[in-house]
Amino acid sequence: MNVLKSLIEDCRSGKVEYQALVDHVPYARFLGIQVVSQGDELTFVLPKNDNVVGNPTLPALHGGAVAGFMEQAAIIFILLQMGEPRVPKTIDFTIDYLRAGHFRDTYAECSVTRLGRRIANVHISAWQKNRQEPITLARAHFLLSDDNA
Amino acid sequence: MLKQPQECNVFTVKEALAAVTDSAPTFTRLDICNRFLESVRHSKVLGMEVLSAEEYCVRTRLPWREDLVGNPDTGVMHGGAIFAMMDQAGGMAVTCRTFPAFEITPTIDFRLDHLRGPAKGAAVVCEASCYRLTNHVAFVRLTSWEEGSDAEPIATGLATYTRLKIDNAGKVVGQ
Repeated sequence: MNVLKSLIEDCRSGKVEYQALVDHVPYARFLGIQVVSQGDELTFVLPKNDNVVGNPTLPALHGGAVAGFMEQAAIIFILLQMGEPRVPKTIDFTIDYLRAGHFRDTYAECSVTRLGRRIANVHISAWQKNRQEPITLARAHFLLSDDNA
Repeated sequence: MLKQPQECNVFTVKEALAAVTDSAPTFTRLDICNRFLESVRHSKVLGMEVLSAEEYCVRTRLPWREDLVGNPDTGVMHGGAIFAMMDQAGGMAVTCRTFPAFEITPTIDFRLDHLRGPAKGAAVVCEASCYRLTNHVAFVRLTSWEEGSDAEPIATGLATYTRLKIDNAGKVVGQ
């Protein structure tokens, strides 16, 4: 059994924390992504950190770092829903920036609009103060099948 | 959300005034883009660099690095790292159009299509062009490829940025 599959099974059965799955991805560690589970709900956290700052004077978070955080959150979210987990490949990622990202912790949650056999359609929203005031909204498609399209 | 520190604005206003009186700016688009990059911590930490900067074309480069990998089984760079580099490149493309003035240009929206995964170990090069600049909005097209194979793009992007003029920018920074 490959490392990823056994990691996911251990997460599902509660043997290891979901964080282990996040830490499996080098880029997720680079950003410092954390994951918090409450029952079946997962909230992803991008802790405030000098390395994700875009403008040091404000200071404001780098939009690209927030986008990368949301993309990674969606990938983990889909992985946990797949019967035969394989790392989803991003087909496209579209993001709206609604408010400035201040230098504080950022949260993200995902909802899968449709999980097909080949394509997953996901919405991701990120907020800082409260869920009702998202700083960014994103929509992405992921390729789930194994062939190298 | 690409924003500049206040020092950068001061630098630009002063230099822009000099440009009016001296007729030829004493600095180039490449200088401004490099200065921009220096001020953006996350882009520096990613390891991004500017290759060239002209009125309608900015080229940037992001070397492959172990900690930017998205899938440890394949070693392919994470889409998020490529996104962050391209978002920054788009901001620079706007800077090249507003040259010699410098403005804060937050991203309004950005769409990125990943056409294929870049090979493990390959640096990614991005070319960004601000093809339309209006009073308030800048429209940018972007293409990325593996270094050395510019005939085969790995990603294409389309983005809009809003222009905060220096006066307004001062208020936003407001400190």
